[in-house]
Amino acid sequence: MDHCASVLLAFPPSSPLANNEQYHKAALAHVLKVEKMIKDNGASFVGYASQLLEHVNPANNSISYIALLQTILTNDNSTPSRGELPTAITTFLMVFDPRQIRYVGGAFSALLGVVQEGSLIPASIAIGLVATALLKLDHAGTMLTSHHIPLVTQAYETDNIEPILPVIEKTIVFYPGMKGPSETRYPCDMQLPPPAYLTLESSLTTRLSVANVLQYDLLCGMCFIQRRAWQQAFDALERVVSYPTREGGCSKIMENAHNKWVLVGLLLNGKTPTLPAITGQGAQKAYATHGKPYTSIGKAFEQGTAETLKSEFESVGAQRWADDGNLALMRLVLTHYQRWQIMNLRNVYTKISLEQIRTRTQSAEATGPLKTTAELEALVESMISEGMLNGVIERPADGKPAYLTFLSPTEELSEDEFKVKMFSTAQRIKDLGPIVKATNERLATSKDYLRHLVKEQKKEKHGQTDPYTRFEQTVDDEDLMMDVVPGN
Amino acid sequence: MTDSLLAFFTVIDNQGGVIVKDAPKFDLDLYIQSYRGRTRFDRLFLIGRSSVPLCVDALKAAVAEAKRGRDPQRYREAFECLRIAAPSEPEAATFDKAWLDNIETANQNETRRLLAELKGYKNNLIKESIRMGNEDLGKHYESIGDLNAAAEAYTRMRPDVSTPKQIIDVGRHLVSVALQRREWGMITSHLSKMPSGTNSDEYEHMQPYIRIVMGLSMLGQERFPEAAASFLAVDVNASPTSYNEVASPNDVAVYGGLLALATMDRADLQRKVLDAPDFRQFLEHAPHIRRAVAQFVNGRYSACISTLEAYRADYLLDIYLQKHIPKLYAEIRSKCIVQYMIPFSCVSLDTLEAAFSNPAQSIEDELFTMIQSGTLQARINAIDKASTNTSSCERFACLVTTVSANPRVKLQSTALATAQSYEKQAIDRLRRMSLAAADLELKGQRKTSTAFSGLGGVGDIIYDEATMV
Repeated sequence: MDHCASVLLAFPPSSPLANNEQYHKAALAHVLKVEKMIKDNGASFVGYASQLLEHVNPANNSISYIALLQTILTNDNSTPSRGELPTAITTFLMVFDPRQIRYVGGAFSALLGVVQEGSLIPASIAIGLVATALLKLDHAGTMLTSHHIPLVTQAYETDNIEPILPVIEKTIVFYPGMKGPSETRYPCDMQLPPPAYLTLESSLTTRLSVANVLQYDLLCGMCFIQRRAWQQAFDALERVVSYPTREGGCSKIMENAHNKWVLVGLLLNGKTPTLPAITGQGAQKAYATHGKPYTSIGKAFEQGTAETLKSEFESVGAQRWADDGNLALMRLVLTHYQRWQIMNLRNVYTKISLEQIRTRTQSAEATGPLKTTAELEALVESMISEGMLNGVIERPADGKPAYLTFLSPTEELSEDEFKVKMFSTAQRIKDLGPIVKATNERLATSKDYLRHLVKEQKKEKHGQTDPYTRFEQTVDDEDLMMDVVPGN
Repeated sequence: MTDSLLAFFTVIDNQGGVIVKDAPKFDLDLYIQSYRGRTRFDRLFLIGRSSVPLCVDALKAAVAEAKRGRDPQRYREAFECLRIAAPSEPEAATFDKAWLDNIETANQNETRRLLAELKGYKNNLIKESIRMGNEDLGKHYESIGDLNAAAEAYTRMRPDVSTPKQIIDVGRHLVSVALQRREWGMITSHLSKMPSGTNSDEYEHMQPYIRIVMGLSMLGQERFPEAAASFLAVDVNASPTSYNEVASPNDVAVYGGLLALATMDRADLQRKVLDAPDFRQFLEHAPHIRRAVAQFVNGRYSACISTLEAYRADYLLDIYLQKHIPKLYAEIRSKCIVQYMIPFSCVSLDTLEAAFSNPAQSIEDELFTMIQSGTLQARINAIDKASTNTSSCERFACLVTTVSANPRVKLQSTALATAQSYEKQAIDRLRRMSLAAADLELKGQRKTSTAFSGLGGVGDIIYDEATMV
């Protein structure tokens, strides 16, 4: 056992390793050594593995710790030490060293699988744990891995959305299995962009299918809908709606997302959203045919009377909305109809009596104006308190009826406020720098591009230039009509 | 209104027709004298079906007009209307079956004769004769009311034309048929096929006709600015006989003036309508239109509106204007309100109500729709009293000219929006590049559906082009 402990604690050495190369070699050697040791000691190792857990520091000796955890998990279920296992796993996932984990991707993925499976750790805790672990692995959260999808599914199904917010709020720009040059730097290099170490070979993720990616964004959208974060839900759904397609493809997930996207757009902006220009042709057609009830609802929402909206809603029937899983969202759209009508009054009035609002706006639930001013007052008050409406209800002292004053939105920003806002946007764009750099590196070193480059250079050597590929270089600021094609 | 008239107009109302209760200011006989050709019946029949005071007279005139022509269907329609509207009139008492049979037999014989002639020409292969044969046939069909066949016959003339005059003739025939069939788009395309390059006298002579028909076609397509420009360009020196099968000089003045009023600003109205040497002479036929335009230009908006309102009945009885009058009037009215508000920063609703009183709609509702549609840049304050020196409950419509008010806000919001959209686009492009690199684009072929099999519960179906159609 002592021998085992000394092997396990041997990495990382107490004196820091000089560079990435040494670290890489040492880590690889350590992984092999641990594997060999476990194999050699066989059953006896399993017996004292749980005792060893107490001696190995999960934060410092992450490779060794995860090997121990794996041994315990894959062996005898009746070990008494299994009782302490959840605590050990929890601690490990909170504190592990992400640099070391890059060498034991398979074990790490298996561990996450066990946690998500739910028999050891209750879902409410497991979700938070996996989310933390994923963010530890990739700080910026810019890469989608195969662990994301079960995580979001589980969170949505068990209604534990809060713990995964830090994960789903991140902007995803990388996906596993991207074609690119083989990475020459060591995986332990902390400067590496996520796609360089979260590779299929490292087993930290598996290959994803198109449906996985679509489903992830759809689920993110649904999580945000659950939390009523309309803007984020809208953005997530829009990613699905405008998913890149080829040859007129469109999937059922995209149609589902489109339906929700229309409804969320209504709640968010009070009008039907317009499809992004990059939406695929086939998808646009599919939305037009299969999303018909939803676009009709959108049109009816923009009209002045509630009857059309109500009849559109009823003609389709609650059953269809429920089948689509959109009944609750649909009901919300109906309640928001009058709210948006009141919101639109701010473009016409500065002050307006509540009675006038009552006659001018219609409730989609009652299909007509509200019965009493008191009901309307309650509605307006709830809008103001939710922050949707910027205004105040004023009650004149002389007993005249109450009225609503629309406060002018603080349209004009001071020079400083403006600067701050612009600066933060500029900063966010600058933060994209590393991603752009990684993408650029990948594209510049891709085989196709290099082959093209080599071909070009060869041609140049032989003195024959291809008139079309050199077009950009020759026509820079010349007269377009002059000698673009040599010999003509 | 007698019972029979009431019954007649109830039928018209059910059919969705326009009913004009006020008496127009024109005299029916004088009015119809300005026209010739098939438009006479069309106009009389429309007045008969729309105007309550002129109904019987117009229908009687329409019956007489129909009997002068050779179109049996027109006689049947006019007679039927007159029978319902005024059964006691002598013209309505007896249906002239003998005349009808006569004319139908004559028409059939004539058709046969012309077809036989045309066949003969075709056998002889003389282009000019074939062209003339088709023209005669087309004219015949047009006169008996078979407009479809007429259009076909006229179209068949086209391969055999040889001189510019003949091309113009074909165009004119086709335009005339299209006008009667209310095919506005066709008119434009027929007109465009006329040779515009030739400066023959013939073509010059045709200019007013072409301009008017073009204007009507634009009006029919609700392209008001183009229509106005077309009417304003009509040459006043041409004899009205060259175009009175379509419109009278009075019509040109009314169409041009109203459309200009609805679409142009004050400076343009002054320059292109009141000061235009040609159009001024047209306006002499319709002094009230000139008055209305002058009032608008001089800022007397309520006077302008009331002048136009006085003639609403007249214009509603015009075959080409009837459909567009509500829209044109509404546009002129909202233009007046917008112009009226320009010099003020704050106008009381009562003042506006006094200036633009409209029994049908309260001024606040009207402003509401105008502001919502973006025609008027203003905000209504429905609560506050007037400033201290005026008494009690005057309501104010505060004018907020947001456009000129704050260019800074506009600049700031545009700058922020641009920056944000740049950021969004950058991320989106990176995402798409990565998706392409990871071979994760959604493909349309069915074979890719195997990629979806790993996912339970969502039930993926990929639609390719074939299944979409």
